[in-house]
Amino acid sequence: MNLQYEGREDIPADPAAVWAFVNDPEKVGHCLPEVIQVTVRDPTHFDAIVGVGLGPVRGKFTFKFELQPDETARRMNMKIAGGGLGSAVDLTAGAEIVQAGPGTTLNWSGSAVMRGPVAAVGGRVLDAQAKKLIAQTFANVRAKLSS
Amino acid sequence: MSIEATPRTHALGHRMKRKEDPRFLQGKGNYVDDISLPGMLHAALVRSPYPHATIKNIDISEAMKIPGVKAVITGKDLEAAGLGWLPTFHGLDKQMVLAIGKVLFQYQEVAAVFAETRAAAADGAEAVQVDYEPLPVVADPFTAKKDEILLRPDREQKTNHIYHWEVGDRAGAERALERSAKRIRQRIWFQRCHPAPLEPCGCVAQFDTMGRLQFYVTSQAPHVYRTALTIVTGIPEDRIHVISPDIGGGFGNKVPVYSGYVCAVVGALKLGRPVKWIETRTENLTSTGFARDYHMDIELGAEADGRLTALRVSTVADHGAFDAAADPTKYPAGMFGIVTGSYDVPVAHAEVDAYFTNKAPGGIAYRCSFRVTEASYAIERAMDILADELGIDAVELRRKNFIRKDQFPYPSRLGFTYDSGDYQKTLELALQTIGYDDLLKEQREKRARGELMGIGFSTFTEVVGAGPSKHFDILGIKMFDSAEIRIHPTGSGIVRAGTKSQGQGHETTWAQIVAEELGLDPQNIMVEEGDTDTAPYGLGTYASRSTPVAGAAIATAARRVREKARKIAAHLLEVGEADVEWKDYKFQVKGVPAKSVTMKEVAFAAYTNPGPNEPGLEGTNYYDPPNMTFPNGTYIAVVDVDRETGEVKVRRFLAVDDCGTVINPMIVEGQIHGGLTEGFAIAFMQEIQYDRDGNNLNTNFTDYLLPTSLETPHWETANTVTPSPHHPLGAKAVGESPNVGSPAAFVNAVIDALSPLGVRHIDMPITRDKVWRAIQSAQSVTV
Repeated sequence: MNLQYEGREDIPADPAAVWAFVNDPEKVGHCLPEVIQVTVRDPTHFDAIVGVGLGPVRGKFTFKFELQPDETARRMNMKIAGGGLGSAVDLTAGAEIVQAGPGTTLNWSGSAVMRGPVAAVGGRVLDAQAKKLIAQTFANVRAKLSS
Repeated sequence: MSIEATPRTHALGHRMKRKEDPRFLQGKGNYVDDISLPGMLHAALVRSPYPHATIKNIDISEAMKIPGVKAVITGKDLEAAGLGWLPTFHGLDKQMVLAIGKVLFQYQEVAAVFAETRAAAADGAEAVQVDYEPLPVVADPFTAKKDEILLRPDREQKTNHIYHWEVGDRAGAERALERSAKRIRQRIWFQRCHPAPLEPCGCVAQFDTMGRLQFYVTSQAPHVYRTALTIVTGIPEDRIHVISPDIGGGFGNKVPVYSGYVCAVVGALKLGRPVKWIETRTENLTSTGFARDYHMDIELGAEADGRLTALRVSTVADHGAFDAAADPTKYPAGMFGIVTGSYDVPVAHAEVDAYFTNKAPGGIAYRCSFRVTEASYAIERAMDILADELGIDAVELRRKNFIRKDQFPYPSRLGFTYDSGDYQKTLELALQTIGYDDLLKEQREKRARGELMGIGFSTFTEVVGAGPSKHFDILGIKMFDSAEIRIHPTGSGIVRAGTKSQGQGHETTWAQIVAEELGLDPQNIMVEEGDTDTAPYGLGTYASRSTPVAGAAIATAARRVREKARKIAAHLLEVGEADVEWKDYKFQVKGVPAKSVTMKEVAFAAYTNPGPNEPGLEGTNYYDPPNMTFPNGTYIAVVDVDRETGEVKVRRFLAVDDCGTVINPMIVEGQIHGGLTEGFAIAFMQEIQYDRDGNNLNTNFTDYLLPTSLETPHWETANTVTPSPHHPLGAKAVGESPNVGSPAAFVNAVIDALSPLGVRHIDMPITRDKVWRAIQSAQSVTV
């Protein structure tokens, strides 16, 4: 099942601060909703264990993250692969960092390919839950940068 | 109405209550999951979420840390032990036991975990880390046909095309179609579905103190399993004991040998403890033998008056990742050649091309009689489409083209010799019982008011009873079957057969046959099946073969017992053997009926006073049937369709079957009720769907539907009796007929209801939204 998402967060911090934040795997990892553990491997790779509830599929999922910063375009891309409970999820996400007055606008987009019991969950349930997860991550980025 | 038997006799044809039911109704059945052995471990399988991927690495270290986990094995471990692959029952392909190098379908088995408890095994399975590299997915056979992505590089032929099979006269059919006054063509898809037996597959494997493998398993063919296990494991066949206890439904799903079985045996050998493996419902639906998935292009030609001139059908078959369709060796497309059905078609041609895809393997299941379900559906739908195009009543078209009674034995143009049938008689009884003329009148009145009412027919003939040894084998083993009968001194007895009931009622019907042949009480005839140490070798129960083959073996073995008993009777009656006859269920002196002895008296004498004869009273027969049998039926469905919602209500359904001699009418009714319910489910609600990424979308009973009593229509049944001339009892079998014949009746009824709107065909399952869309589409064209 292929799913596509996009959204926007307005962050009361300057683009440089935002850029530094999204390049920090420890900080990005702890923005994941229901994160249980983050293990940083190197400046652009980390693993995370998160709690996931999608319809009848509930449990812990393990993800491997790869940060792919594009400094010229001021865009942070992310490749995420993982799964749990017999399901597999492959995600790509990206966020464009744009100056917006004194603050920053984060234009984010993502796509997910889901396989296994997760994909068998009804499309509307899956879509809503997946969007909520991704959106919550970027909202957490805003919240941490705002504090 | 109910099923009537041949004239009442001693035991044959009696509505005897099933002897096995008391234990089932009281929850005292003995199923594989009831078995608990000292020190038993539990197995759980790790399965791939990817439909097509390379396996880069399998890390079992975290799994081994789970308390209770004793061992984990992978495909590489099995490959090193020479157990990486097992032959499929069709024999021309092999299947990975656990994935080696790559996975080919979602939920394919990747590793096996053995632990102290089922929960620990499941936790261990979850902790196994598998690194996959996804590969492009081939999710349908038409994409597979292009060979742009090769799924099976392990095979010699580097193509996704598994086989081409054909039968009949291709050029003759083409010529005849071209010359026909009317020619119809329709693409008909019989969707992938799954029998979903209530009890999933499972086993317990144990090596006893003598080093023998005791293997308890949900198998429809225990002897074949024993031989297959020998081939796969190298354990000599005398060191393997297979026991199939009570089985909660098979329907063909319990014929193949599954990875879990081999893993359990390996685990038991490796760890020196019994191992139990019981699959979950999701595992059953996503990895065990599915049914159907045939894309059929059928053409019929006819004269202007409706006489058929030719039939041609070309099929694309989706076999999934391995060719595990459990067909007899020479029949890769099963009995699909029955596609001429009940009709005298002058020339015909049928072909099937099968392809690998990234889906679970299988194809032969769900009461299919080896692809007869697909064939029957195609011809019965095509007849309705032809009738509609010709403007001829669907019943009239069938009547005009039926094989006549005097044409039997009938050689079809696609290679079968039908044994017997009186199709007109079956049809007339059905029309009379349903009140066809009144229904037509009602339909005319309703159509005038814009209401959608449909009447659908299926006048099918199927072919069962595999089969004659000159044509049929499974893994090289000929498809005879067997019976061993032993009568005890006090007049009771035991019959052991090579079949294995999964609900068909053999404990009752086999007893009735023996009782009938020997004049004994069927309540005192014990039936035993499923234990390979004691039962004679047989090919098992599936494809409606038990009554035609094992039933014949039992009758023949019983007649051998009777022949020996006659000698002892002659001794007791103090006459020559030629002066003794079997009459009125006892041995009488010819012309002096008062001088007689019963079988019970003879049985006692066999052990106490056999005279010059060999003591004891038993008989054995291995029966090689001379032909298949050809049950037929007329099924009629009456439906009402709600124009606003697309809801279809099945108002009436009548099944008139002709299965030849009826052994137990009540059991026949039960078989028909069950099969019609399955046919109803297939027609209206069941499909195993895969999305284009190869995800299975119907993995549990919230997504794969079984009808409940709320949805299931009331079934009306009746029968005619046209015995099979070559069967010792004249019996033909009936178990699969209702699933063979009913889907077309349902679909024909719905299309008949929608025909005033110009709707020609809807593929199954005919869900409410499909009907609604068809109505909307037809109405928008009209507007």
